[in-house]
Amino acid sequence: MSFDFNLVYQSFPLLLEGALVTIEITAISVGIGFLLGLFVSICRLSGLKVIGFLAVSYVNIIRGTPMLVQIFLIYFALPMVIGHRIDPMVAAVAACSINSGAYVSEIFRAGIQSVDKGQMEAGRSLGLTWPQAMRYVILPQAFKHVIPPLGNEFISMTKETSLVSVIGFEELTRRGQLIIAKTYGSFEIWLTVAFIYLIMTFGIARFVSFLERRFATDDRN
Amino acid sequence: MIEIKDLRKSFGKLDVLKGINLTLQDQEVVVIIGPSGSGKSTVLRCINYLEPPTSGEIIVDGLSMTNNKNINAVRMEVGMVFQRFNLFPHMTVMDNITLAPIKTRHISKKEAEASALQLLQKVGLEEKKDAYPEMLSGGQQQRVAIARALAMKPKFMLFDEPTSALDPEMVREVLDVIKDLVNDGMGMLIVTHEMGFAREVADRVLFIDEGVIMEEGKPDDVFSHPQHDRTKLFLSKIL
Repeated sequence: MSFDFNLVYQSFPLLLEGALVTIEITAISVGIGFLLGLFVSICRLSGLKVIGFLAVSYVNIIRGTPMLVQIFLIYFALPMVIGHRIDPMVAAVAACSINSGAYVSEIFRAGIQSVDKGQMEAGRSLGLTWPQAMRYVILPQAFKHVIPPLGNEFISMTKETSLVSVIGFEELTRRGQLIIAKTYGSFEIWLTVAFIYLIMTFGIARFVSFLERRFATDDRN
Repeated sequence: MIEIKDLRKSFGKLDVLKGINLTLQDQEVVVIIGPSGSGKSTVLRCINYLEPPTSGEIIVDGLSMTNNKNINAVRMEVGMVFQRFNLFPHMTVMDNITLAPIKTRHISKKEAEASALQLLQKVGLEEKKDAYPEMLSGGQQQRVAIARALAMKPKFMLFDEPTSALDPEMVREVLDVIKDLVNDGMGMLIVTHEMGFAREVADRVLFIDEGVIMEEGKPDDVFSHPQHDRTKLFLSKIL
């Protein structure tokens, strides 16, 4: 078996376009997932019964079902309820964000709970409200602890966006499939696709360790 | 005036406070002593509702803490200093002190910093205003914590074993700051194991054991002529 470098060379621009779409959907999903996760973790720790229960249910449902099924539900099942089609991009971002939000909320919960209990007490004893103490005292400290696990989540999400290829959304993996359908170059294309994912996740990992170092130095001066 | 009426607190099946009645007049200094686990700290923590009481009532200047709306208002009038300082590690000394006044009293940053500087002078740490807590010694951190509580201009202060987490050579500097406050006429409740200090500053001493006030009186009476066997036993161990 020979390795067709020419095929790699010719498909590369198309795959890079797909990679850009992967980056786009990952960035948007992680962004929304971050805000959603923060919100849900705060709901969960608010001590308000109904809101806390809803937050826990959301996390359990998302973590307890495959993301592939979640994508199908949003893209195929939801239109039957609301009565019109959903754009693949919207469905893809929605599925990834909702999925990411559940995992991010658990990351934030752990981060918030890792902050010493005396911090909240000191804030409250000074007359700060719970949201004020959360915002000015607890979250800035929790944030530093959550950078590494958030980085992991970012990397996972980059790879998991490949699942949205099943609804025909043309990100990196789908591009690879389409090129192979025409050229039968399975070996070359999948290897190239894997390589591009690796470059992307490696880049994110470097970015996260840069953030970690920066926040670590902030502490010292 | 702080009034505590039949305060009871249970953690699960454990009854920590079994009916505490106590009145703290304005400018009065009351020191609470007692063995560890006797519920001394819990009394303080119930006053500002860091621990909501199981039953009983706390009334601060006529405001009952049973009404949730009063909780934050009362907390702004009652400063608290913790055994482990609980400074905010991600903020400078200055920001530690000005955060609550700016957010709750809605005063300008400039105004808050000016009065914070005065408070730092009072506790002898003005040159540390830009330092982070971890760069300070335990005694310095506790003095900052006192300044932080004072920045809310409270009427009363609660000290929860303010020197118990300190190295011995730093106890004095913190007690001196508290003594200054006593001289300024601040009303306060102090939980401490520093008996010499208690004797010196207290208007009244309470001995709490097993969740009840066993004995109370003038410091000289309690320390020199304890009536209760429990008090005698405790003092014989500690003095």
